[in-house]
Amino acid sequence: MSLLEVGLVAQLALALLAVTAAVAAPTPLRPLLAGGATLLMGLSGVATGALALGGRTGIVSAPLTVGLGLDARMTLAPDRLGGLFMLLAGAVGAVAALYSVGYARGPAGSRTGCAAFAVFLLGLQLVPASGDVVAFLLTWELMAIGSTILVLAEHGRRDQVRSAGLWYAAMTHLSFLFLLAGFAVLTVAGHSSSFAALAAGRISGDQAGLAFVLLTIGFATKAGLVPVHVWLPRAHPEAPSHVSAVMSAAMVKMGVYGVVLTVTRLLPGGPRWWGLVVLALALPSALYGILQASVTSDLKRLLAYSTTENVGLILSAVAISMLAASSGDSAVAGVAMVAALMLTVSHAAFKTVLFLGAGALLHATAERDLDRLGGLVRSMPRTAVAFGVACLGAAALPVTSGFAAEWVLMQARIHGDSRDQLTSALLPAAIAVVALTAGLALLTFVKAFGIAFMARPRSPGATTAHEVNRPMTAAVLIGAAAVLALGLAPGLTATAAATALRSAGVVGAVGAATTTSAAAAVGTGAGWGVALPGIGAHLDPLALTLLALAVTLPVVLVTWLLARRHPRRDVDLVWGGGGVRTSPRMPYTATSFAEPLVRVFDDALQPTRDLRVTHAQESRYLVQEVSFHQHLDDRVEKSLYRPAIAMLDRAGDLARLMQNGSMHRYLGFSFVALLVVLVAVAW
Amino acid sequence: MTDAGFTQVLGSCAGVLILTAVLQLWRRSLSGSVTLLALQGAALSALIGTIGVAAADPELIGVAVLVLAIKAVAIPIVLGRTAAATGARREDAPRINPTAALLLSAVLTTVAYLASRPILGAAPDAAQRAVPVGIAVVLIGFLLLLTRRQAISQLIGFVVLDNGIAMIALLTAGGVPLVVELGVSLDVLLVVLILRVLTGRLKHVFGATDLDDLTELHD
Repeated sequence: MSLLEVGLVAQLALALLAVTAAVAAPTPLRPLLAGGATLLMGLSGVATGALALGGRTGIVSAPLTVGLGLDARMTLAPDRLGGLFMLLAGAVGAVAALYSVGYARGPAGSRTGCAAFAVFLLGLQLVPASGDVVAFLLTWELMAIGSTILVLAEHGRRDQVRSAGLWYAAMTHLSFLFLLAGFAVLTVAGHSSSFAALAAGRISGDQAGLAFVLLTIGFATKAGLVPVHVWLPRAHPEAPSHVSAVMSAAMVKMGVYGVVLTVTRLLPGGPRWWGLVVLALALPSALYGILQASVTSDLKRLLAYSTTENVGLILSAVAISMLAASSGDSAVAGVAMVAALMLTVSHAAFKTVLFLGAGALLHATAERDLDRLGGLVRSMPRTAVAFGVACLGAAALPVTSGFAAEWVLMQARIHGDSRDQLTSALLPAAIAVVALTAGLALLTFVKAFGIAFMARPRSPGATTAHEVNRPMTAAVLIGAAAVLALGLAPGLTATAAATALRSAGVVGAVGAATTTSAAAAVGTGAGWGVALPGIGAHLDPLALTLLALAVTLPVVLVTWLLARRHPRRDVDLVWGGGGVRTSPRMPYTATSFAEPLVRVFDDALQPTRDLRVTHAQESRYLVQEVSFHQHLDDRVEKSLYRPAIAMLDRAGDLARLMQNGSMHRYLGFSFVALLVVLVAVAW
Repeated sequence: MTDAGFTQVLGSCAGVLILTAVLQLWRRSLSGSVTLLALQGAALSALIGTIGVAAADPELIGVAVLVLAIKAVAIPIVLGRTAAATGARREDAPRINPTAALLLSAVLTTVAYLASRPILGAAPDAAQRAVPVGIAVVLIGFLLLLTRRQAISQLIGFVVLDNGIAMIALLTAGGVPLVVELGVSLDVLLVVLILRVLTGRLKHVFGATDLDDLTELHD
């Protein structure tokens, strides 16, 4: 038994332990015991993933039928790419499990909640380990069932949870249906259900095209691309926060994994239109996602839409890679794919922290509407620091993982000067979309952090907020440290991504740099930057940061010393005329901050506004009260899903005509069916 | 028993079975229907007994006695009492009139003969030649279920349907093990008893046993 196999079995065993702890442990100890076991399972996932990424191999195979004489087996055999995603899922799961030790109270900490969380994480970690179609679909469903139960955890408290659960379940099943069809086509065309055999079989032609389209739709639904994103902004806000963190940071990534698996391993070297299909899904998703995120004031909804945006960016990188590969530009293809994986890792890191942080805010203030938060930087300093770092990552600012990843993506785009006309026309458009997205992301996360943590508390809940307990702060701080580490040493991610893709045979164009140039100037050792020799680009954030610190520290020091000589006088507002007239209603709220954006994108967003002015009784010229209410519907949902649901409803009503309660009619159906069968036999 | 005699008895039994089924469509009086049902049960029992004697199979003869007890005696008695208890005398308004029902039964019998051609094969023996009659009885039983409104008529239709199924099973499989027939017959008896109770409740709640009253329960 190889080490990797031990790791796979250990995950199963620890999941069993976690479920047992969740069911058997007494209520006060349950979060600790079940969360602890789940944490260990996540860590074993990290270790196993690292082993697989390092090139170790191992196969765990189990029979699916007992005593039926059928030889149906499921196989777990992670390759390097799967190893990277298992590592990712395990890391996110471990941080979320640590958080759940402090967070899981009430419905999320019930027996069902704790057990479903362990099952969900197990499915999540085993999806990338799958070595054949059967194992993939089984673990995929395990993941879907676990997460559906968790989305429904708080159904007793809020009515929206039920509707969110329904949407989520429906979309998940839609995804599964497409995957099932796609894999069925693949299995029939390749005469095998094993991924290795399918990869060796080189399926091509119409069957490959059909399988690609079906699989892409299925994976896009799980990944939350427009127009099949509708479950994200519903399910993420309603699920318990540690669950939404895992869903957004890791589960959605399984959709990305699926697409990468399809285009690099199962069906490599597809025609150009495949890349165009992915690009046509990805770019609108990125733009639409961030636009919705920038104007919403519900924090968790904002984060959910931001997930759609990030997945859009990731898949646009995949699409660039596919286009470059089909026009024979292997260097750009490699860099773009590495960018996709780096974006994936980076998004996993910062989105975990953001959702866990949002959970901490919810826990401390019972509010998730940004318009009612504020001033939390003083009452929740540790959460504020972690959330701030993650916001920097989400806005793709330097020294965070987001920046390094987007830099690589931009390099791939800029150098993707294709000989192909359509592609060379599309690439600048893609760059423009990414630029707009990045700008909007900056605004969005300035809003998310600024409105939530700065200014004054806008509600009683925000006023009485307190810092959350230790496991929760530890989890968010660990996540924030990861965001920073991945940003300062992007070479780690880049190497991991390049290694992961080596098994798929995509990349030879990227490697980690060990530069000494800039870092040597400040006297530290080798850097951890990322170098792209294939297209001649190089980035060493650690060295740049040290350089920047070397330049700015003396300035800051001098300013500080000078400032000490002239101590600051505390003055209340200059325009206060001596009186204190600051009220929480004076600073920007999330809605007012986003108001210019809503105005600019009015046609795209079509908000409904309700303004009510109550005049004083004495005079029409005096306004007694103004109430303003703004509602933003998801337009895709409104124009695509509402009509479809209405049509289904009508079809259901028509079906009710058949089912009118008359016993004779039902008997008639059976009678006619029997007659038809008899006549068919006689024919 | 000679071969020709065996065929004669078999044919007569099958004839009585289908004749009673068709007459069910024509009769409106419930007590008459129950009598016909008892006759049909007896014919089924005789059919099983004939095959049992021909094959010298004591188990089949046991089955015949069992069928006689349940389908020719027990069920008709239960149905007769139910009819008396609920005060229903006639099937007043069947969904299609008796003439049309009789014509339809002719069509169904034709369909049964057409449909059983591929099952029978090239050279059917005497027992297998009676299979289409079984199918026809099943279809006519179904037609009874479809067209009758009274709960007791429904029960009668159900038992006719079951008689047809038993007949097909017997003729195609060359006899039914006692255990299986015991299970099936007792099942039918149980269903009849349960439906009898339900009919009583129906009478209690609606004041009549017309099944059309039940449509209000939907949704």
